[in-house]
Amino acid sequence: MRNQFFKKTPNSELRTPNSPRGPRIVITGLGIVSPIGVGREEFWKNCLMGTSGIKPVQRFDVSSYRSKLGGPLPEIDFKAFIKPANLRRMDRIGKIMVSTVKLALDDSGLDLGNEDPHRLGISIGTGLGSSDTVDQFFRALLKEGPVGAQPLLFQTAVPNAITSHCAIEYGIKGVNITFSHKETSTEMAMAYAYHLLKEGRADVILSGGGDELSEPLYHVYSMLGALSPGKGKGSEGMRPFDRDRNGIVLGEGSGIIVLETLEHAEKRGARIYAELGGVGLSGSTEGVLRYDRSGDSIARAMSLAAENPTIVDYISAAANSTPELDWAEASAIRKVFGERTKEISVSAFKSMLGEFDGSGGVRACGVALSLNQGIIPPTIGTVNIDPGCDLNVILGSPGKIGIRSALLNGCSNGGSNISLWFRQYHST
Amino acid sequence: MRKRVIITGLGVVSSVGNCVPEFWNSLIDGKDGTKEITAFDASPYRTKKAAEVSGLNSQTHFSGRELRRLSRCDQFGLVAFREAWRSARLDKDLIEKERAGIILGAGSGGILSVEKYFRDFYRGRKKPSPSLLISYSLATTTDLIAVESGLKGPRSTTATVCSSSSASIGVAYEMIQMGLADVMVSGGSDSLCEVSYGGFSSLKLVDPESCKPFDKRRQGLIIGEGAGILILEDLDHALRRGAPVLGEFLGYGICADAYHLTAPEPNGEGVERVIRAALSHAGVSPEEVDTINAHGTATPFNDVAETRGIKRVFGERAKEIPISGIKSMVGHCLGSAGGIEAVATVLTIKNGVIPPTIHYEVPDPHCDLNYTPNHSIKRDVRVALSNSFAFGGNNVCLVFKKFSSE
Repeated sequence: MRNQFFKKTPNSELRTPNSPRGPRIVITGLGIVSPIGVGREEFWKNCLMGTSGIKPVQRFDVSSYRSKLGGPLPEIDFKAFIKPANLRRMDRIGKIMVSTVKLALDDSGLDLGNEDPHRLGISIGTGLGSSDTVDQFFRALLKEGPVGAQPLLFQTAVPNAITSHCAIEYGIKGVNITFSHKETSTEMAMAYAYHLLKEGRADVILSGGGDELSEPLYHVYSMLGALSPGKGKGSEGMRPFDRDRNGIVLGEGSGIIVLETLEHAEKRGARIYAELGGVGLSGSTEGVLRYDRSGDSIARAMSLAAENPTIVDYISAAANSTPELDWAEASAIRKVFGERTKEISVSAFKSMLGEFDGSGGVRACGVALSLNQGIIPPTIGTVNIDPGCDLNVILGSPGKIGIRSALLNGCSNGGSNISLWFRQYHST
Repeated sequence: MRKRVIITGLGVVSSVGNCVPEFWNSLIDGKDGTKEITAFDASPYRTKKAAEVSGLNSQTHFSGRELRRLSRCDQFGLVAFREAWRSARLDKDLIEKERAGIILGAGSGGILSVEKYFRDFYRGRKKPSPSLLISYSLATTTDLIAVESGLKGPRSTTATVCSSSSASIGVAYEMIQMGLADVMVSGGSDSLCEVSYGGFSSLKLVDPESCKPFDKRRQGLIIGEGAGILILEDLDHALRRGAPVLGEFLGYGICADAYHLTAPEPNGEGVERVIRAALSHAGVSPEEVDTINAHGTATPFNDVAETRGIKRVFGERAKEIPISGIKSMVGHCLGSAGGIEAVATVLTIKNGVIPPTIHYEVPDPHCDLNYTPNHSIKRDVRVALSNSFAFGGNNVCLVFKKFSSE
């Protein structure tokens, strides 16, 4: 059944659930490298405790910026994940991504020796994955001219290098694609993977992505006025849906979900975290640096994704502590769910991770764990809910409920909005 | 049953023409767009040429205020989009905007503007304008086109660089299959910049004079720039509104060599797999393929691997299939290469002319197929492939067919 929002839009009868045909798609492995934990267990423990990953940035000098905070990753010993000989050709974001893929593969129990490599794919999203490498390359070019151009840097500077590293490391010869569309990069990667699996073009697709907190990125966000404290009131920090929210804190990390056809998962006796039941994509057109301001487009993405909105119990919000997006997302949720809005638990993972373009992979892992365990991590940092965002936001301690299905929202400035609809897995 | 998807509009900006008719005439005449670089100071480089866009009179397309904010890449993309939109006879007030989306491919995007910013910033000269940083994201051109045209359907940007805009056509096709859109804008835009020029130079992959695909004397690519935009449309939707029908998009293959960060798998095994995947997805047998728009970068390794891959798929028949390497004329346009080549492929089918590979003089025993040397040929083409391969072996092959209503 469709929801009220759709009834008001033209030609709603023409709309069909997306990718209605084909097999069921399930999540069988999670790989997480995040500011609040590397690996599923540490990440989840910290999620439930409401641990903040936000702290002063130390990897590079931020003294010249008004903002000082970030959501940096802990120090990671990449040798624990990647053979030293292979480490040499990767930049930091490459190492982060390959480590995440390893965690996801290990978690899934997939035995690559038994899999057809041509039926194994990878679909990755990254906003500006290689920004640090591009910057290093360009600075050397500026300083020394063409002789300063380093070929080893250039080959890792392309956005798809992170995906190629993973494909080469694990011999993944099937579907291979990289998306880069701001804050919906990873959501797009997962939506595309979902559809290709439905169409039978692969058995398993590793999907998600991530981004790195780099100095040039920090500079650009700062100059474009996106960082807290940009404008408005309140101190620097992430506080989604709070009346005093004033911009983002830039985080980093990556997350990979192993998406698999149910048949393939059952055949190998895989553990199933949750089912991916639908995806919705839409666009708003306010401007290249503007989020959807009316919430209509976000509402449309959610409506397209959730085949059955009456069983949505949880929304993992895109809310990123900007005045614009949090309000629009709240408004979109009310548009879709009407009187049911109060019954739906909402949490904003970005309160713990910070905001980064490729955050959708980590957040998808969180949703899969919530569906699997019936627990919703809290939104932290938020004290006074903005009256314009009067949702049932889980604050302080985790909410424990049976979650039948959940939406993961991704919203980019510029106006791409993507929702993914995850369901609790039942064999029938 | 999958939906049938057709092409109803084309738009192009390139070094050999800034609209479809001019571009096509140049291709069939074998015109080379290579010239001295003016987009940035190339004097310190060993090579000084690129297939640069010229004669695109920006002031006639954009206001002064727009020009201050639009990167070179954005301008190409918008100009090509407007042509494609017009040629598809689409009216944004008559279509359901929620069911029209845009997926573009990107390479270096608007990084030329970002370089301008950081050049001033790092040299501590004047305070650079932060508006140059709007182009920092590869999504900017895609979003700008959506904002201008009011399209509210699915939107994203693919980022596999040299195969980006071919991948975007595949992804756009899936948006229609998923029931999320009736009309999708796809393809890509990219502009010259110092990072990509310096990068390919550092890898010693740039030819100082001209791009000579499959020729024994080839020394590498000529970097190009421009935009190639295709409007994909659900057949029923197109027929209902009486749209022009330029060709049908049957399907695509997308997969990886998983071999090396820059070098292709040398035996053509990766190329073979992506062509086979494309044919299988499109439901076409190898015997039906009439022509191939090659990736043909003129790097020593690519052309051999591509030739081997084609032979592995088509066997003895490989020698009979005319292959075009249009990078010999338009250069390697990176993020827009696949889009521009797809436009050429659709025009090949529509006009029954196969564009040549120019600068072809000395045959290479390792590249022994029919590359349509130097002169275009007239040929009725029903099925045509367009290959795009990227760093890391991120390969895409597209299958287009002459439309028939059967």
